[in-house]
Amino acid sequence: MTSPSPAPPARRSYDVRSVERSEVLRYLGYAGQELTPELDARIDGVVAACLAACRPQGVVRVFDVAGRGEKDGVPVIRLAGTALELVGCSIDEHLAGAVAVGVLAATVGMGVEAELRRLSLTDPVAQVIFDASATAAVERAADAAEADVVAQAAARGLFCGSRFSPGYGDLPLSTQPVLLDTLDAGRLLGIRLSPALLMSPTKSVTAVVGLFERPRPEAHASCAGCPCCDFCVLLRAGSTCH
Amino acid sequence: MTAEKNLRARRVRDERLAAVLRGEELLLFDGAMGTQLQERGLAAGELPELLCLTDPEKISEVHAAYVAAGADVVTTNTFGANATKLGDAANVEEVFAAAVSCARAARPRYVAADIGPTGQLLEPMGTLAFDDAYELFARQVRAADAAGADLFVIETMADLAEAKAALLAVRENSDLPAFVTMTFQEDGRTFLGTTPEVAAVTLSSLGADAVGINCSLGPRDVAPLVERMLPWTSCPVMAQANAGLPRVVDGETRYDVGPEEFAVCVADMLDAGVGVVGGCCGTTPAHVAALRALLDVRRPAPRSLRDCLTVAGPQRLVALAPGQVGVIGERINPTGKRKMKEALRSGNHDHVIAEAMAQERAGAQILDVNAGLPEIDERAVMCRLVSELLSVTTLPLQIDSSDPAVVEAAVRSYPGKPLVNSVNGKAESLASVVPLAARYGCALVGLTLDEDGIPPTAQGRLAVARKIVAATDAAGIPRPDVAIDCLAMAASTDQTAPRAILDAIRLVKAELPGVRTVLGVSNISFGLPFRPLLNATFLAAAFGAGLDLAIINPGVRRMMDVVDSWRALSGEDERARFYVEHYADRSDAPAAASSAGEKNVEPATAPAPAGLLEDPVERARALVLDGRAEPMASAMSEVLLAHDALFAINEVLVPALDEVGRRFEAGTFFLPQLMASAEAAKAGFETIRAAAGPGDASAGKGEVVVCTVRGDIHDIGKNIVRMLLENYGFDVIDLGRDVDPEVVVRTVEERHVRLVGLSALMTTTVPAMAETIELLRERAPWCKVVVGGAVLTPEYAQMVGADFYAKDATETARIAEQVLG
Repeated sequence: MTSPSPAPPARRSYDVRSVERSEVLRYLGYAGQELTPELDARIDGVVAACLAACRPQGVVRVFDVAGRGEKDGVPVIRLAGTALELVGCSIDEHLAGAVAVGVLAATVGMGVEAELRRLSLTDPVAQVIFDASATAAVERAADAAEADVVAQAAARGLFCGSRFSPGYGDLPLSTQPVLLDTLDAGRLLGIRLSPALLMSPTKSVTAVVGLFERPRPEAHASCAGCPCCDFCVLLRAGSTCH
Repeated sequence: MTAEKNLRARRVRDERLAAVLRGEELLLFDGAMGTQLQERGLAAGELPELLCLTDPEKISEVHAAYVAAGADVVTTNTFGANATKLGDAANVEEVFAAAVSCARAARPRYVAADIGPTGQLLEPMGTLAFDDAYELFARQVRAADAAGADLFVIETMADLAEAKAALLAVRENSDLPAFVTMTFQEDGRTFLGTTPEVAAVTLSSLGADAVGINCSLGPRDVAPLVERMLPWTSCPVMAQANAGLPRVVDGETRYDVGPEEFAVCVADMLDAGVGVVGGCCGTTPAHVAALRALLDVRRPAPRSLRDCLTVAGPQRLVALAPGQVGVIGERINPTGKRKMKEALRSGNHDHVIAEAMAQERAGAQILDVNAGLPEIDERAVMCRLVSELLSVTTLPLQIDSSDPAVVEAAVRSYPGKPLVNSVNGKAESLASVVPLAARYGCALVGLTLDEDGIPPTAQGRLAVARKIVAATDAAGIPRPDVAIDCLAMAASTDQTAPRAILDAIRLVKAELPGVRTVLGVSNISFGLPFRPLLNATFLAAAFGAGLDLAIINPGVRRMMDVVDSWRALSGEDERARFYVEHYADRSDAPAAASSAGEKNVEPATAPAPAGLLEDPVERARALVLDGRAEPMASAMSEVLLAHDALFAINEVLVPALDEVGRRFEAGTFFLPQLMASAEAAKAGFETIRAAAGPGDASAGKGEVVVCTVRGDIHDIGKNIVRMLLENYGFDVIDLGRDVDPEVVVRTVEERHVRLVGLSALMTTTVPAMAETIELLRERAPWCKVVVGGAVLTPEYAQMVGADFYAKDATETARIAEQVLG
């Protein structure tokens, strides 16, 4: 037992109405090839069907950094009010100087998973396109969750870095169980974890975001080009994070 | 199963609890444990269950506060106390022992052992096998029973299969009552799409002593959902809503529904007929005290139940009220169907899946599934079919087998309430199938035949039906869930047969009130010409005699015409809305609509789209390069007018595919183009095969097994490889995803397969790839292995012991040529 936890997590639904077609194509390995009108239309149809099947939702919590240390010679960041520990050189570097950390999970829901499974058995071409669309959509959901962190940071006069997910660098995938429990993501989002640490729905994202006292060099200098822009609470209230 | 029947089999702590289970008393559960512990300093992400061992006073303190507030039942702090979640931190038995004693220390009237989800997703969408989920739950059940709990509460379930595994674990390892609640979203469905009606029907049929809703939402949103459960179950219905949503006010966290508002909503639920209440996330002793005040001045409200035959898939309830008729699609059955036989034998189930989807489109409400072929492992094939059909259709299934072991394997893990086809009047069948249907909460088809065969008269069939219904009554299967099949016999051999069948339907309905009837119609026309007309006429007569469920081919337009028009005439189709909408423009020429697959060759007269090449050979090649599958059948049919199959393959399709491969390698095509081309080529091959008929000369180049390894459910890469290998003439045995090494090796052994393709997408599943290869080396040393997948490299492939690494599907096809060519 430690000090009382910060606010219990709540689920939020996000309004993801579109994904960048170019991003979907990029996931498909597109490099300027000439498309037939049929394939073009087919891609548009599947992207639209995917967006209709998506239920983008997320959970966000912000914890203060309680301390930094070492575990078996590897840096570890401890957070106040959660059993979550962030282990590894890459996350240590990414969060250097952070005073708090936003923890987020976002998903497009089990309906997308079910449709991917159905297409796997009935229409492999559509499955590939649907999968790429769903990847783009869940990234949008993660952008929306990140925008929630940005808003919470701004309320405290803090600035956000970029998001970082378990499995990247040397932040181990084994971070997932406690991270998901910290967000109560099973109950709130329906995210389940396999023994191989694979999330279901597979189109789910977990990440941490550093909160800093000074603006970050990697931060967008303007709202144009910021992926969180569509979901930004600050912008709607007439301010920005930069 | 009926509630009274349930109760006799239970160890119920006292008369009060028995009265609750009979619906004669109300019952009050406690409120949240998790949020109470967080207020007392539990860190997020910590396992709260461990506190039962490390800080039992704190747990008892929470329980005691709820007892003081008036709760009848306290729920043990064991939500996630399963072997997987606890890991090395503690064992299940000690946690349940400590948790029950923490609860007892608060001196409640009853202690409910809490069982939450496993935290993993079950197959087929996830990787946890139903039996493994069952074992996790069974261990919790035995531990809780031994620790002295009074009842079980299985809660916060989103997956009906998982809820079913937990409930079966209680039923098979304890005789204590089991309350089961699921969690729903704003759209009225669980994360996996189950509705309150489906949950209520499935779980209460399976022997739950109370069913309901917990968590999810605030009481205002839970109320309408829980009320939807009420008409569909005779057992008590339960609601434990959240105290709304958490909000931070002045730095303090509060859930936004206070005790008074909570009680107002719960009062409405009680008035509607809910019998067991409590709270979930965010509720406090103050909420429970407010509910106590409600219960003290109330009696259970009267409830009215629907008199329906019910069957359910995980997302869809089919309920037939008296006077309504239903359609069971008969096509997934190998008897007399060459393509279906081939599909079941080869394990390539594309045709089965196409039939399922076609029947759903044509208006079937339930799909019959029969995998009865002498030379196959019926049980394994049935289970795989059920799993695949669950992924492609929401229609409930009718499990059709003469082998009770096959039926049991399929219905046990079925996420819903299936229909079982069938029991008959033979003593052996009654003794094996009826208890099975009762135990698994299935609806049941009863055939009017026994040791003396099929009685020729209506009275004789009624006598067999009586025997069957006596057995189902005794087993506690509600009468509306029993459908008697009076067995259609050929009019060509006995012209009195049709009348005898119709009379039997009338007699069964009159003499065995509540029981439903079902009929496989098409036998009636056996041996006579133009069978659809006789079938349709007989179906209409059978509906007139009181038939409830017709087992037909819904792809035959004439049959669905009878169904739709009967519904308009009987009043089932209110104001004939459906009929008017769908038949307003129909002319009087019923044509047999072709069912999927069997006759799917497009008429060669279909006009060629403008702008296409004149020469069919050039056109077919162009269609492959353009990735256009739809016009391929007619183009290929034209090619075959002038050329033989070998020419069509070797001079048309293969060169075009080679060109596609070259373009993909060169980067002028990207993945969807490659796949669309493969799809177009596949359509061409299918046309060639259909034209050649059975045992054709264009036989394949050999078998290749492909799958994604155990623990991994990414199957896109594997599917692309399959498409291309099929294009190049290999017979692909696709074992699917998350495949156990033993299954791979057994398949390779049985069919002496010479090449296996394994796919893995995660570093965490590559060890399963290595394990599969090792087992192959040991038992099938002749077999070569090619591996691929996002995380693999040539070096990694060598490390896991593979013979080949393929960077993409075209390379896999080349390797296959090399190994098998």
